Amino acid sequence: MRLEAMAVKIPAYAGHPNRIPFEGVLTLVDVASDKAPSGARGHRVLLTHEAAMAALPSLLGMAVDYRPGWDGHDARRKCGLITEADVEGSELRVSGYLYGRDFPEVEEQMKRGEEGTMGMSYELADAHVEDMRAEVWRLSRATFTGAAILLREKAAYRRTSFRLTQCRSSARRPHRPGEPVRVAAKSVAGGSMMQSIDTLREREANLWK
Amino acid sequence: MEVGNQEALDTAGESMGRLAAAAALLEKTVAWLEERQAALAGDVQKIVATVEQNNDSSHREHELEQKLTAAEAQIAELKAQFAQAETRTRKTVPAATVQLLSKRGLEELDHIDAGTLDAALEGLSLEQRIAVKAQLMRSGSLA
Repeated sequence: MRLEAMAVKIPAYAGHPNRIPFEGVLTLVDVASDKAPSGARGHRVLLTHEAAMAALPSLLGMAVDYRPGWDGHDARRKCGLITEADVEGSELRVSGYLYGRDFPEVEEQMKRGEEGTMGMSYELADAHVEDMRAEVWRLSRATFTGAAILLREKAAYRRTSFRLTQCRSSARRPHRPGEPVRVAAKSVAGGSMMQSIDTLREREANLWK
Repeated sequence: MEVGNQEALDTAGESMGRLAAAAALLEKTVAWLEERQAALAGDVQKIVATVEQNNDSSHREHELEQKLTAAEAQIAELKAQFAQAETRTRKTVPAATVQLLSKRGLEELDHIDAGTLDAALEGLSLEQRIAVKAQLMRSGSLA
């Protein structure tokens, strides 16, 4: 199985009260959506593998949001952060942190709902469609601008998922002020990719301001 | 002379108005053309992978489906009630009437043909015929 991954390394902090790790399947690549997404004028869409790979860096550092009815996006209700993205087979998997203390309702919903009822949805900007007249729009280029946690049935891709995971902190020692933050972007399949580190570092630094 | 100047001013004003309207229309057309060109080129500004939210129609469909299901259930219930009522009312045909009709060759009272009934009731007085028919109608045997 081909695995391609990219991550922003966030320093571990044991027992952080506002970080709850999550993971999920954001979308499928090279697979047509089950329903027409919003903005696609009634067409189902297919995100090509190449487009997904090219857009993967744009996903890191983007927020996850939610709507109280769990039925869509609300870009102004950002309740977490995506720190890692992988393409595994046809699944584009993401993981990151929820701001659990700031948004307890998200954790409550996860605990209350049955397993497998929650999914995810991406938000794309500047997408390029190969043929606008095709029944299924093939997206050959796009930029991820965010993601939402929502009921799976409300997602255009029904095979997405979202779940909270156990704390995955790898180090017990908290990050010390002034200590450099390691930011890495790597591609398991394609070797080390340390470019754009400065941008990622700046983005990460802004997170803690 | 003054009248001539006023006319010229009015004409110029009208022309300016027409020009402004034409310019606005041109701006609109250019914007539309740009939009159309972008659409044809395959560029989409934003796509969100949630089921189309202007799903007022599907919401409406769902609502109508629910109403239809409720209406169907109600119809089925009413039919069942009617059938029961029909059975009950048939039992209320007086025994004397059943006997009378039986004597005149009408054994089966479920669905009586009007012509057959008239023939069977021949010889009875008008009041009696009306009374029998009314009873049969109440019981649902006679439409």
